[in-house]
Amino acid sequence: MATTDIKSVESSTDLSSDLLKRFRANIQTYAIILALLAIWAMFFAMTEGTYLSAQNFSNLFRQMTVTSFLAVGMVLVIVTGNIDLSVGKLAGFVSVVVAYFQARVWTIVLPDQGVLATTLSVLIGIGVGTAFGALQGYLISYLKVPSFIVTLGGLWMLTGGILLVTEGKTIPANQPSMAVISQAYFPPLWGWIIAAAIVGFLFFNMLNSRQRKRKYGFETSNLYLDILGTSLLSIMVLAYVFIVNQYNGLQVPVLLLAITAAIMTYVSNNTRFGRHAYAIGGNRDAARLSGISTRRNTFLIFVLMGFLCGVSGVVLASYVGYGTVAAGQGYELDAIASCILGGTSTLGGVGTIFGAMVGGLIMTSLSNGLQILNVQPAWQYVLKGIVLVLAVYADVYFKKNR
Amino acid sequence: MPEEQFSANNDVILDIQNVTKHFPGVTALSEVSFQVRRGEIHGLCGENGAGKSTLMKILAGVYPYGSYEGTILYDGRALKLENRSIRQATEEGIATVYQELTLVPTMTVGENIFLGREPVDNSIIVWDKLYAQTREILNKYKLDIPPHAIVRYLGVGKMQMVEIAKALSENAKVLILDEPTSALSEAEIEGLMEILRILKSHGVTCIYITHKIEEFFRITDSVTVLRDGKTVTTQPTKNLSVEKLVSFMVGREMKERFPQGNRQPGRVIFEVEDLHAEDPNETGRKILNGVSFDVRVGEILGIAGLMGSGRTELVTTVFGEYGKITHGHIRLEGRDLKINNARDAMRAGLSLVPEDRKGQGLVLIQSILKNISLPNLDKFASFFRIDGDAELVAASQQAKNLAIKAASLQAACDSLSGGNQQKVVIAKWLMSNPKVLIMDDPTRGVDVGAKYEIYKLMNELAEKGVSIIMISSELEEVLGMSDRIMVMHQGRSRGMLDITEATQEKIMALATGLV
Repeated sequence: MATTDIKSVESSTDLSSDLLKRFRANIQTYAIILALLAIWAMFFAMTEGTYLSAQNFSNLFRQMTVTSFLAVGMVLVIVTGNIDLSVGKLAGFVSVVVAYFQARVWTIVLPDQGVLATTLSVLIGIGVGTAFGALQGYLISYLKVPSFIVTLGGLWMLTGGILLVTEGKTIPANQPSMAVISQAYFPPLWGWIIAAAIVGFLFFNMLNSRQRKRKYGFETSNLYLDILGTSLLSIMVLAYVFIVNQYNGLQVPVLLLAITAAIMTYVSNNTRFGRHAYAIGGNRDAARLSGISTRRNTFLIFVLMGFLCGVSGVVLASYVGYGTVAAGQGYELDAIASCILGGTSTLGGVGTIFGAMVGGLIMTSLSNGLQILNVQPAWQYVLKGIVLVLAVYADVYFKKNR
Repeated sequence: MPEEQFSANNDVILDIQNVTKHFPGVTALSEVSFQVRRGEIHGLCGENGAGKSTLMKILAGVYPYGSYEGTILYDGRALKLENRSIRQATEEGIATVYQELTLVPTMTVGENIFLGREPVDNSIIVWDKLYAQTREILNKYKLDIPPHAIVRYLGVGKMQMVEIAKALSENAKVLILDEPTSALSEAEIEGLMEILRILKSHGVTCIYITHKIEEFFRITDSVTVLRDGKTVTTQPTKNLSVEKLVSFMVGREMKERFPQGNRQPGRVIFEVEDLHAEDPNETGRKILNGVSFDVRVGEILGIAGLMGSGRTELVTTVFGEYGKITHGHIRLEGRDLKINNARDAMRAGLSLVPEDRKGQGLVLIQSILKNISLPNLDKFASFFRIDGDAELVAASQQAKNLAIKAASLQAACDSLSGGNQQKVVIAKWLMSNPKVLIMDDPTRGVDVGAKYEIYKLMNELAEKGVSIIMISSELEEVLGMSDRIMVMHQGRSRGMLDITEATQEKIMALATGLV
C-alpha cells in the first residue's frame, strides 16, 4: 500500500528533504518546544532530578491549568486585535462567587446534597463569567469603546466586586465534590484508556485526511512523514500518561484543559467563526468588505472569553479551596505572556492555541523550578520578566535574519 | 575605459554602469547601464518585476554600496552609499518620493517637512524659523499649501506635493518619483506636471517611474526601458510612440492595449435612481446628491470623474458599506434592494473589487487560499466545519482561471506582485458568482501584461452575462473598455455617454462641470 502511495506522488519521496521543509514551515513552534525542553533540562540538573520527578511533573501541569484556560481565550482576543485585562479578576470574582454559594448558600438551602450543590455552583460560576464577558463584548463591539479601556474598567469593577462578596475575608469552598474538579486523579487504567483513545483518534484522523485529499486529487504529503509526526505525538501522550500514573494518575483539570484547548483549536482553524476572527485581526476593512460582521464576531469572542474565565474561576475555587481577596491577581498578565511566548502577534491576525499552551507551560515551569530552588519571589518576577522580553527579542531577531 | 568613465562629463549627473544585483535565487538587475542627463526628466519604464524598484532602492541607499556589482557615477564621482545610508543619500542630494506616502497625518505641513531635522536653539525647536523656512520652500516651487495645515486634511494631491517639498528642502539634486500619480486626479496630475516643469527650470533632475504610459510622453525628456532586470534601451522621448514603448516593455508587439471583446449587452438588470447619501461619520455632510444610472446584462459601464467626484463613495454606498442613504432607489432585476452591509450586497448578487487592494481587498498576511475563500466560506462550511478540501478545490479552480502566478495557494499575499494581488482580489469576488461586479480602479498599480489579462477577463465575464461597473482614473481605459460611460461631478451623475460618441474632451467637460 505504502509503495503505491509514494509512486503516485513524485514530489514526496524524499523523507529528509520533506522533513526539513516541514521543520522550516513550523520553526517557531519547534523553537518554543525546544526552549521548554531546555528549561526542563536545566532545572532537572539544578535540582538533581527532583524537578522531573513524577510528583513534581504532575503538579507542574496541574499548576498551569487555571491561567491556561484564560490563555486559550486570550489567543483569540489578541488575534482579533483586542486585549482583555479583566480576565484574572473575572476568574477571581467567579471563584469567590462559587465559594460564597458553596459556603453560605447551599449549606442552608441544599444541605447534604454535595453533587447537586457543586453542579449549581459550576453553572452559576460559568454563567457569571459569560454574562460579564457579554457585557464587555457589547461595550467593545457595538458601542465601540476600545477593549483596553473597557477591560481596564472591568478589572477595577471586579476588584471591587471581589471585596464586596468576600467582605475582605476568606471563604472556604472545599466541599468534597467541589474538590474533584481540580484535585482529583483518574485511576491509572482510565489514564491508559484515555491515552489509547487519543492515539487511535490521531491515527484515524491522519489516515482519513489523506484519503479525503486523494479523493479530491490533491498531492498528499509524505506518508512516512505523516506517520512519523503522528507517532511522535502519540509517544508524547503515552509518555505523559506513563509519568503521571507513577504519581496519582491523570489529573482531572489537565484533561479538562486539554479538551478545551482541542475544541478551541478546532474552532479557530475549521469554522467560519475562527476564520473570520483571524481575518478581522489581519485586516479589519478587508474582512468587513468580505461580508463579515466584525461586530458580531468580536462580541462573540468576548462572550467566549467570559465563558472561559468562568471555567477558570471554577477550577480556581476548587484548586485553592477558598475564595480569597487576592483571587486571580495578575493572572491576566500570565495569560497574555503565555500567548506572546507562544507566538501570538500583538498586532493581531497571528497566533495559535497550541503555542499559547506551550507558552503557559514555559511560564509555569519557570515559576515551579525557581520555587524548588528556593529563589526569592522578588527574583522570580525579575527572571520571568527577562525571559519574556528575551523570547520576543529572539523571535524578532530570527524573523529579521531569516 | 577608465579614462572615459572618470572624465568630468558635465552633462551627465548619473551614470549607471553595469549594475548587477542578486537576491537569493534571483537576479534582480543584470548589467544595467544608462545615463541620466543633468536637469532632465528621465522616465524609467518597465513591468512589475523588471527591476525598477531594485534600482531605485540602490540609488536611495536601501541596498548599500557593495551589495551590488557595477559602478554608479554621481556628478562624476563614484557613488558609495554605506550601510544604513538612507540618510546619506539625501545628504548627497538624491531624494526619493515613494508611492506610499510617508507623512505623519496628524502633524502640520511644516513639521512634516522638517521632521527629524527641526531647526533648534539649545535643543529647543524654533518654530518660527521652521515655518518661515517651510514657507520659503513652498513659495520657491510655487506650491499652494499653507505651512500650518494639518496634513491629514489635505487631499492626496497636496500630500504628494508636501512629500516633494520635503525632498526638495534637503537640497535634492536628483529627485526620484515612484508612481507619483497613482492616487491623483487629472487636475492634480496636471498640478504635479507643472511642479515638475518648475523643478526642471531650477535645474533639478527627476527620475520618473510610472505605470501610466501616457505620462512619459507628457513630461519626460528621455526614457529608459527595463525588462527582466536588463536595460532594453534609452531613447529621447520624442523618438518614441506608445506602441514602441509597450513593445520594448513586454518584448513583443502588443497589437492592442484593450482587447476587443464580443459583448452584447441585453436588458437592464441593475438600476440606481436619484441616490442621495450622507457621510456616515458626519451627519449632514452630503456625499451623493442625486446619482442615477442603469447597467445592462453583459455590459461594461465605465464611471469616470475626478478624484473627489464621489465615484468611490457611490459604489461603497451601493455596497452598503459607506454612505447613509437619505433618498433614492437601488434595484436589481426590478426589485428594490435594501442593503445595510457587504453581506446583504453579496447575497443580492453584487461583488465589489475595492479601490485599495492592500487596505481593503486582502488580508496580506494570509495565504492566497484563505483570501479567496474569505467571502465565500458559506459555500463549503456548515456551522461546525469548513470543508478544507472543497475549499481548496474551489480556490484552485479560481486561481487557475485567473492565471495567478505563485508558488502555491499557501503563499502569503504580501509576497505577490501588484498584478497577482489584484487577481487574487478578483478571484475572491468571482467565486460568489455575482450578477453585477463592481470594480473600483481595477488596474491601478498593475503592469501592462497583467492589465491586459484583467481586461480580457472582464470581457469574458461580460460575454457570459455578468454586468460590470468599472471605475477608472485613466480616461484611455474608460474609453477602451466601456460600452457606456457615466461621468460624475460633485456627487452627481452628470451624463451618460455611449462609447460611440464619447471622447476624452466630452468626458473632461462633464467631469469638470463645464457642461
